[in-house]
Amino acid sequence: MQQYSDTFLDNASAALADKDKAEVRDAMALFTPLVRNAAMDQFQHFEELRQHVKQVRQHSLDNLGHYLESYEQQAVRNGNQVHFATTGDELNSIVLDICQQHSARRIAKGKSMITEETGLNAFLERANLDVMETDLGEYIIQEAGETPSHIVGPALHKSAAEIRQLFLDRHDLGERELETTEDLVSEARQVLREHFLNAQVGIIGANALIAENGYSMLVTNEGNGDLCANLPPVLIICTSVDRILPRAEDATAMLRLLVRSATGQAQTCYTSFYSGPRREQDIDGPMETHIVLLDNRRSDILASDYREMLQCIRCGACLNHCPIFASVGGHAYGWVYPGPMGSVLTPLLTSLEQSQALPNACTSCGRCAEVCPADIPLPDLLRDLRHAEVEEKIAAPRWRQGLKIHAWLARQPRLYQLLTGMGIALLYLLGRKRGSFSKLPLASGWTSQRDFPSPQGRTFMQQYKAEHKHRE
Amino acid sequence: MESEALHTTAPGGGPAVYLFVTCLADLLRPSVAFNSIKLLEDAGCRVTVPLQQTCCGQPAYNTGDYKSIIPLARQVVAMLEPADYVVLPSGSCAGMICHHYPALLKDEWHERALQVAAKTFEITTFLSDIVKAKRPERPPIPLPPITYHDSCAGLRELGIKEQPRQLLQEFCDTQVSELQQSEVCCGFGGTFCAKMPEISGKMVQDKLHNAAATGAGILAGGDLGCLLNIAGRARREGVAIEVRHITELLCGDLDGPAIGEGE
Amino acid sequence: MSDSARASIFARIRYSGSGASAAEIAAAREALGRAPAANLPGSDLCSSFLANVLLNRGTVDVVGNRSEAVTAVGKYIYQHYRTHRLVAGNDPRLAAMPWRDAGVLPRFGELEAGEPVALSYARLGVAETGAVVTFTGKANPAANNLLPENHIVVIDVADLVPDMEMAWSRIAHAMTTEQRPRGINFIAGPSSTGDIEGKLVYGAHGPRHWHVILLGEVPQAALGEAQAIAAPAATTGELD
Repeated sequence: MQQYSDTFLDNASAALADKDKAEVRDAMALFTPLVRNAAMDQFQHFEELRQHVKQVRQHSLDNLGHYLESYEQQAVRNGNQVHFATTGDELNSIVLDICQQHSARRIAKGKSMITEETGLNAFLERANLDVMETDLGEYIIQEAGETPSHIVGPALHKSAAEIRQLFLDRHDLGERELETTEDLVSEARQVLREHFLNAQVGIIGANALIAENGYSMLVTNEGNGDLCANLPPVLIICTSVDRILPRAEDATAMLRLLVRSATGQAQTCYTSFYSGPRREQDIDGPMETHIVLLDNRRSDILASDYREMLQCIRCGACLNHCPIFASVGGHAYGWVYPGPMGSVLTPLLTSLEQSQALPNACTSCGRCAEVCPADIPLPDLLRDLRHAEVEEKIAAPRWRQGLKIHAWLARQPRLYQLLTGMGIALLYLLGRKRGSFSKLPLASGWTSQRDFPSPQGRTFMQQYKAEHKHRE
Repeated sequence: MESEALHTTAPGGGPAVYLFVTCLADLLRPSVAFNSIKLLEDAGCRVTVPLQQTCCGQPAYNTGDYKSIIPLARQVVAMLEPADYVVLPSGSCAGMICHHYPALLKDEWHERALQVAAKTFEITTFLSDIVKAKRPERPPIPLPPITYHDSCAGLRELGIKEQPRQLLQEFCDTQVSELQQSEVCCGFGGTFCAKMPEISGKMVQDKLHNAAATGAGILAGGDLGCLLNIAGRARREGVAIEVRHITELLCGDLDGPAIGEGE
Repeated sequence: MSDSARASIFARIRYSGSGASAAEIAAAREALGRAPAANLPGSDLCSSFLANVLLNRGTVDVVGNRSEAVTAVGKYIYQHYRTHRLVAGNDPRLAAMPWRDAGVLPRFGELEAGEPVALSYARLGVAETGAVVTFTGKANPAANNLLPENHIVVIDVADLVPDMEMAWSRIAHAMTTEQRPRGINFIAGPSSTGDIEGKLVYGAHGPRHWHVILLGEVPQAALGEAQAIAAPAATTGELD
């Protein structure tokens, strides 16, 4: 996918200026934590389960070679063809080859962040394939020519009114009202049903791959992914190498957290496990199934200090709880994965230079880490990325130099107290009457949004030392 | 040299509490430090103010400059080692010492940092949980309706939520009118507010409006960073709410101007 | 391309791996134990399962035997569609039902366009989640789960399990005597979506209605208990 993370601040500025969209985001930011928290309160074992899931995820990653090989063996035994792709381009080519071998024209696609990452749709469309997204949210943004704003609810940035207009413009279905959300859902159902029934290839993602039996787990509420997996004669599952779990029960244990964290439900409507193509005695299912496993730098992350990021289960809770995500929305981040998890993943999967702003889009408030079902220390990883920016001299020189000088000065108490004493005395003199400054040299970032409160008087150290001397 | 390095306010018994004033209180709001001393002394502590203190190093640390901070962190650890307790009128600075110093320092210094971390407390936690401070022999301090801003580092790194509310009840006989979205960040975030001012501005605007919606006359909090941010925004928007550090309320020190207000 | 990609991916992953043997890895996983499950909302398996089905926006019937089951199905489809027809998979258990007694006319096979109702006989029911489990195959083609307007599922009381771990244990046991199914489907509600403004709407792609019939010795109080558990949520639990 085309990346524009380098203009994060401009993207954010444009997002903040759109008041209608900001209102939609504010409402979602109020609502999504409420449903997640209610689900976890009801569940009661959040901390115990997240420690368990985290340990299982870490164990899987520590032994990924072993589990990936055993998954591959089982998947092949189940009749699948397993492919490996080092890069996104490789994945796209593998998928296109399969489609072309079957002379396929129509593709029905379930929601898959991996294929967003590789830009699969655009790639297949350039080869004249007719690719249709079937998850309602993905379908809406595909019709609108947009990208997902959220990893779970890709079209949550759009209002029902916008979607209504989009459908009226895009669907040649004559006069109709489309007054309610139900009407919109019904229309999409009708349009997509036809596509499902005629597609030659189905493409879906996977929420987990199970090493012990070669099944892949697919979690949806709509059932669209299941239609893609069951109706077309060829099925391609695109996912990444880090999705492996040892046992089937590990996948459903993770599911307990995934669903509650994502939508506040106790259980999604459809949780399916697929092993491979139809068997001799079967009367349905694809004749041929392919699994394409993408690395795209995940093996580098595994070998790095950011390894914990691979524990992520893609629930979106960190997005829903991030006040910065709520302020600017997912598109501002300029790539596939937004919010806290995206601000860690984007630099690691693309480049730190291009994504320089993202690790800085964090106040270290810790709300994401608090709700993360995989217990990933997101604010720490973001700070470590800022550290990498300092080390690699990517961070802006004025910040690097300024704070280096401040840290040095803080180690020279006498000099520090002398200089701060002089500076504060001056500020106090200028600001005591009004109490705050609306403009201040070197603090334009601060004063662009708020006044700078004036000091209360001389510094504490000056006052205290004077008092101390006086007493003596 | 020794008398220059340390100063103990009141001789006598009680635990030796080292007060780490924090740079923002030192520079912009000395009353926070004076009120902290008073509260600790009233609670029977022997308060020592290490005179060579400056800043805990959060600005550079949060920006990712770990290398510059390591020598400063060692210096602060060494300075605080003789204390029975270390108390700070700030959740984020206490969190820096309790969590981030041990993570940053290695080997022998890691152990020393852990020892200091174990005896370091944010002031409301210390007063409420450790010394179980009671109101001195005087009537409760009358206050207008107040609301409270839970700063993120205090809330999530140190679990500070009930302590300031208990103290306000005990010292001032006051209950807090809770603001909506009280656990959402105010947009300060150290250098974040200057690096990404527009986003920070939206966040502090939301915080200020939620605070104003409670009808409270005072917004109190335990971290000057957040309070300067919210007070600065209140001044900018002309919202009439006094912003004060909780130590000022607990001492009844309400005569001077609130944060950002003129004399 | 794929072969060299495979080799390079494995090489890189192994480089940062633990280097433990298969036996050590198995022991390490075993040592992690099992995950906590959700507490059951009711006093027994039946009431908990039924309560969760209701919370998943399903509707329920409780019947004592196959004859009552057939009657319940007949009544349900007549009420909703003024029809006696439905489609069911080639499940011997469904074939053996006394359909004529209730005047129901099942067609055994895969759902075709325009047929509104499909009936499945579940392999398992999970009390923890209120999900029914079906295997794809002749006995239950996937289309029967996914394409009808209305999906009716019969489940035996004896096939209820408390949690998903027990479900896997039963599934693993079934796989010792039959081939691995192509698909294992945990179904917990009618098809739904919250993709437009977070408002929950049913019938996104698949069934708009999901009706579960629990067959066997169900404790008399179970249904009432389940309804009481689900009632507050039915009035206040709307996701929008």
